[in-house]
Amino acid sequence: MTVSDPKHDVPEGAREQDQITTDPAKASERMRAGSMTLTLAPWVIATVVLVFLPMFFTNNSALTIMNQMSITIVFALAYNMLLGQGGMLSFGHAVYAGVGGFACMHIMNMSDFFETIPLVILPVFGGLFGMGLAMIVGSFSTRSAGTVFAMISLGVGELIAACSVIIVAFFGGEEGISGDRTYAQPFFGVEFLQQIEVYYLTIAWLVISAALMYLWSRTPVGRMANAVRDNPERAQFLGYSARWVRYYSFIASGFFAGVAGGLFAINYEILTEENLNTASSGVILLVTFLGGVGFFFGPIIGAIAFTLLQTVLSLSTELWAFYAGTLFVATVMFFPGGLAGLIMMHVPAFKLGKASGLVMPYIKTLLPAAIGLLGLAALVEMTFHFRHAATGDVEMTLFWTTFNSHEILPWIIAGAVTVIGLGIAKTTAPALKEAWNEANTAGGAS
Amino acid sequence: MSTPALELTGLKKSFGKAEIIRGIDLSIGKAERHAIIGPNGAGKSTLFNLITARFAPTAGTVKLHGENLAGLEPFQINRKGLSRSFQITNIFPAMTVFENVRCALLWAQGYKYSFWHLVNSKRDLTEGAEAILDQINLLERRNLPAGTLSYAEQRALEIGITIAGGADVIMLDEPTAGMSNTETDYITDLILKVTAGKTLIMVEHDMSVVFGLADRISVLVYGEIIATGAPADVRADARVQEAYLGAALEAEH
Repeated sequence: MTVSDPKHDVPEGAREQDQITTDPAKASERMRAGSMTLTLAPWVIATVVLVFLPMFFTNNSALTIMNQMSITIVFALAYNMLLGQGGMLSFGHAVYAGVGGFACMHIMNMSDFFETIPLVILPVFGGLFGMGLAMIVGSFSTRSAGTVFAMISLGVGELIAACSVIIVAFFGGEEGISGDRTYAQPFFGVEFLQQIEVYYLTIAWLVISAALMYLWSRTPVGRMANAVRDNPERAQFLGYSARWVRYYSFIASGFFAGVAGGLFAINYEILTEENLNTASSGVILLVTFLGGVGFFFGPIIGAIAFTLLQTVLSLSTELWAFYAGTLFVATVMFFPGGLAGLIMMHVPAFKLGKASGLVMPYIKTLLPAAIGLLGLAALVEMTFHFRHAATGDVEMTLFWTTFNSHEILPWIIAGAVTVIGLGIAKTTAPALKEAWNEANTAGGAS
Repeated sequence: MSTPALELTGLKKSFGKAEIIRGIDLSIGKAERHAIIGPNGAGKSTLFNLITARFAPTAGTVKLHGENLAGLEPFQINRKGLSRSFQITNIFPAMTVFENVRCALLWAQGYKYSFWHLVNSKRDLTEGAEAILDQINLLERRNLPAGTLSYAEQRALEIGITIAGGADVIMLDEPTAGMSNTETDYITDLILKVTAGKTLIMVEHDMSVVFGLADRISVLVYGEIIATGAPADVRADARVQEAYLGAALEAEH
């Protein structure tokens, strides 16, 4: 990103003058052409990164994590079509992914049919089934947004999750449904026996789905979804039925959720009640909100961050859900724009060419804060160990250090690190705030 | 006589026991500029809401170009060529000014619920929206979030949104409420300009605006129209003077 663009250093008023004198029609032409290349760049970069990622992370567990990440991204983007773009808070969106996934499992098990189709198109069926279910449920749930929609989504979610033990033929009861993806017709000789082949299938679907969902947000119905979210009444008086706009968003979201379900089926070759239940629906809400509902790429960041928390952090601590929950609460309370909002907050400073002035204050505040939080985490872990380890088991390992959790010294150290770290962060915070204000004010020395 | 643009017959509305609109008969011709005035609480905004189906009437009919609007939803009425603004500014504050207007163009230009067109690559949409912005003098505010505009600019934007769809019956609810004199003049000129050749029905408190714009005036008092006619006749009407206008006119002079 270019940091010092002299054009942006002119004061606010002068810039407006400048805009007035430019031919607006041409300005819009320029902007359209500019936004085209600007919007294309992140897509190309992301695709290239995805293609070359397995060269750096070669082992199978890394591939598994990346596959899971990709599936979560598709699902979270689909979810954000509702939450972020349509203003519909769903508490039961896992069922659309789940039903799409179950449908794909059944197709895998219909060997006569399955061997005639290449595996790569299987997620389309997941999408169609997710969409079909969304068409049925949406026909009554999208009448209104807000609480009514949220409650219906929760109710339907519970209902279908409960069906998993009732309609055993489709949901497979408690064992779920499993299958074998390799029975599909080979796709140019590829039978998807190896994880890496599945990875490329998954990221292909990720890129296609993400691009389609992005394009959807640029269509008339996608724009009106925003309008209905912000002001349904005004949209009605512009000739649009708020209900139909919501319904179309819901169907589209159901489709891509189903695609995510299909990808899940391909990756794990098993679907269970867990794919449908409220916990899964809650996770996707958390992921999306953590990433930020206000920006298209928010859920992508959320899915990456959450999957890392879930997979990497869960290797080192049993309490990962506790930290994920804390992070979620902190996000909702302090950064309602999510991680994407945090990133985009810095755009004005970059445009003013003053972002470099933030680096030192950030280090001075965030580094001690991070150390303090690690100290706090250490206290939490030690408490957990103290309370829950088997009697006599007093040894614990934390941050590559093994010590006795029943002695006083580790507690003092962790406590001191917490207090000192957070204390320093607190004293440097006003300077950071000042630097922040300075970086976001036009004019002056840059 | 040709069909009136808007015809109200025996229109009534009660909220519980309170009768707000107590039987209104009104006929507004094509390309007429009609102002509805009356004291606070007379039911002017309620009348607007009945016409545009924001509320359902208790009795009576509303006809647009001779067609009964009973049972239609606001969006269906809008598609038939009736568009309105609101007393309290009703725009999409988080969207840019440009996008506000573009949303208002989508249905009228036939995009409906399309998901196979990309709005950014549609020249007719961009140019149409810019033409409207030019008309309401907000071109240089094009890319600002609508919520950050000044009050008068937001009102102008709302008028822009209201006319963008090309409706031939425009209803404006107190377009100059809460404005300074200069702003009022600005909005009055704007209304004259953008509603040329269209039917205009407006609720307005500012008498200079009303007498400057309207071809005919209806005076609404306690849910009933006590006089309808040309500005001069209404001004001379004794009942009107007594009920409302006298005080307002005195305040003017």
